[in-house]
Amino acid sequence: MTTIERIAGAGVGLVALLALGEACRESRAAEVPQAPTQSSSAQPARADSAAPFVAHLEHIRPGQAPPRGTTMRNPYAGNAQAIATGAKLFVSYNCVDCHGADGSGAMGPSLADGRWHFGGADGEVFESIYQGRPDGMPAWGSAIAPNQIWMLVAYVQSLSAGKNVSVENFSGKTVERTGH
Amino acid sequence: MLALATACSNPERSPTTVPGARIAVPRDGPAGEWSMPAGDYSNSRYSELDQITAENVKGLHVAWAFSTGVLRGHEGAPLVVNNTMYLVTPYPNVSYALDLTQEGQPLKWKTRPENAQAATGLACCDVVNRGATYYDGRIYYNLLDGHTVAVNASDGTVAWRTAMGDLSHGETITMAPIVARGKVIVGSSGGEMGVRGWIAALDAKTGKQLWRAYNVGPDADIKAGARYTAFYPQNRGPNQGTSSWPGESWKVGGATVWGWISYDPALNLIYHGTSNPGPWNGVGRPGDNKWSAAIIARDADSGEIVWAFQPTPHDLWDYDAVNENILVDLPLGGTTRKALVHFDRNGFAYTIDRATGEVILAKAYVPMNWSTGVDLKTGRPVLAPDKVPAPGKKLSQICPSLEGGKNQQPAAFSPRTGLFYVPTNNLCMDFETRDVSYIAGTPYIGANAPEVAGPGGYRGEFIAWDATTGRKLWGVKEPFPVWSGALATKGDVVFYGTLDGWLKAVNARTGDVLWKFKVGSGVVGNPMTYLGPDGKQYVAVYAGIGGDMGLLIAGDVAANLPYDVRERGSTLPDLARWTSWGGELFVFAL
Ligand code: HEC
Repeated sequence: MTTIERIAGAGVGLVALLALGEACRESRAAEVPQAPTQSSSAQPARADSAAPFVAHLEHIRPGQAPPRGTTMRNPYAGNAQAIATGAKLFVSYNCVDCHGADGSGAMGPSLADGRWHFGGADGEVFESIYQGRPDGMPAWGSAIAPNQIWMLVAYVQSLSAGKNVSVENFSGKTVERTGH
Repeated sequence: MLALATACSNPERSPTTVPGARIAVPRDGPAGEWSMPAGDYSNSRYSELDQITAENVKGLHVAWAFSTGVLRGHEGAPLVVNNTMYLVTPYPNVSYALDLTQEGQPLKWKTRPENAQAATGLACCDVVNRGATYYDGRIYYNLLDGHTVAVNASDGTVAWRTAMGDLSHGETITMAPIVARGKVIVGSSGGEMGVRGWIAALDAKTGKQLWRAYNVGPDADIKAGARYTAFYPQNRGPNQGTSSWPGESWKVGGATVWGWISYDPALNLIYHGTSNPGPWNGVGRPGDNKWSAAIIARDADSGEIVWAFQPTPHDLWDYDAVNENILVDLPLGGTTRKALVHFDRNGFAYTIDRATGEVILAKAYVPMNWSTGVDLKTGRPVLAPDKVPAPGKKLSQICPSLEGGKNQQPAAFSPRTGLFYVPTNNLCMDFETRDVSYIAGTPYIGANAPEVAGPGGYRGEFIAWDATTGRKLWGVKEPFPVWSGALATKGDVVFYGTLDGWLKAVNARTGDVLWKFKVGSGVVGNPMTYLGPDGKQYVAVYAGIGGDMGLLIAGDVAANLPYDVRERGSTLPDLARWTSWGGELFVFAL
């Protein structure tokens, strides 16, 4: 689903951002990124470093084993530089056109309302991006390097930090809508 | 700030008719049925039923209602054939057959064809379906995941299901097919995903593809051959569909067919529009980008292009040309001309010779400023230099916005008044391009374009239009864009719905609002009318807010939680006060 193709004359100035240029230049199949190493907070943490990090590129489906992501921690959690880079990646990988400006929701759901369909923990957001989700969220695991996914995670989480508006009051002039 | 109450009185009102204007192909079959998306091949949305009149319409009340079970944008309209009503829902595209002969309208059948779930996140503008068409004992409709199905009207069994689109590249299907000479005509969606748009014909009996024509690419692919005649010099020469694009950029050039199809059996031509070119940021595609943002006439049997015309060559504003083409014969210059009337996204209403593609007349029907007019020698718009997007430019207040002077919401025509009844938007946008890469299966856009209300502060208007002079005769201003279609009737009552959930009846001659009823959710579907088995005239409309008005790029309908009714932040911050998600059919009678 996430084969990335370059069409001559079609790309409009690919943003050279980290490894993005590379990632977009060729199409690739089931390439599993290097497994992030365990332990320190500077590195993505995972429980089992022997097996590939996520063994399949298929969407998860209800009824399957629950994702393992809940145990992973984002090495860039709270890192302002990583969040800023994540914001740029969010535009470069066209996330923005599905999820809306500032992740406010469009074709895809809002990422800014503090409500998660698949969980908002570091590893859960990572897996949403890495493996995709059944209602049309592409699987990016073969196209985006894990460290960039972690920056996207940091950015996406920052959009909703502290927000969970559950009441919309229409009596005033402006309405703080849930999700903003 | 905004007049939220309905502005009923209008100084522009002056009752007029256009004598001699008529529907090109009045429908055959019983007047009390509604067997195709627009009621007839001409796309007139006119019904000969006249029990409901300007005098008695105030007595209209809800006769019954039916929940479709889906809470997404309900564009389109139900069908009524043989005292059976057929409905198609937004994704998952369930179809229902209701028995109108029995009290309580029990189900005859319900069919839910297989339909890939991933499609829901790949459709740009909500998971809408614009309806089915009935032909020879079956209904035909499209599935969001790119299939076309034929369902037997008798028992709901799927007669065939044909894969037409490629979901992995972001191709979906939302349009309503028609059947012309036994061929089911369907087209693709995905103009925001860098797909290569096409239109195709399937054998109604077997589901076998008979022809497929792309709208961009070499002549052989787009079916431009011996029958192609260019009315304007700039459209002559071979391979217009590649030479007007740099390199191979046409391969991701958009030009999908997600709107309405009309058909003239006498000329044996089908008429369809094509979507915006991809991406919106046009810096990488200098040239006219044919045949994106175009109206195309094709031979119904072979798909060959007979003529094509671009309202917006080298589109930079997301001005798709997919809006309906209404086929009428109009008194023009002392003769009656075979015309096609088209209210384009770009804000001009075109009266075109439907045999040749000559633009007879093109006039603004909504407030606009991106162009100062159409040059009738070439058919091309004259651009306002300060409204032309380019990299690094921050443009403000381009009117109309990318939603267009009108979008998918189809207009109606009444032969009794000779007027067109047009649901319109009054929105403007700021525009800023940004870099974009093509990544298969993701949006290919490259622009930010937040929208605000246009001049006057209202955001929509329901207008009456004289296509022989290019004049607006009256209008009913609305606080929100009018995203529902129109229905014209012989009773001289015209119906339309509103985003904030009203179904309204207006006097076809004066524009006076005669009746209104607040349904359970915003109306983005198209009212239709039929004769019940009891001999009474009914009016039916979907209540189910959704569709593009709320979704695209600057969009903010954080879509898939029913309790999250959020619409476009900057454009309609107040809509959620007036309506909520729904999915229900409302049926009215006197
Ligand atoms: C083609 C449109 C599309 C693109 C492009 C896209 N997404 Fe998504 N995304 C979706 C859809 C649709 C869902 C909801 C999936 C579901 O509910 O099954 C989703 C879900 C998600 C979720 C889970 C949200 C939750 O509530 O748990 C995250 C996180 C996410 N996307 C991040 C991203 C990032 C980061 C990118 C860019 C690398 C991206 N998306 C690109 C459509 C898209």
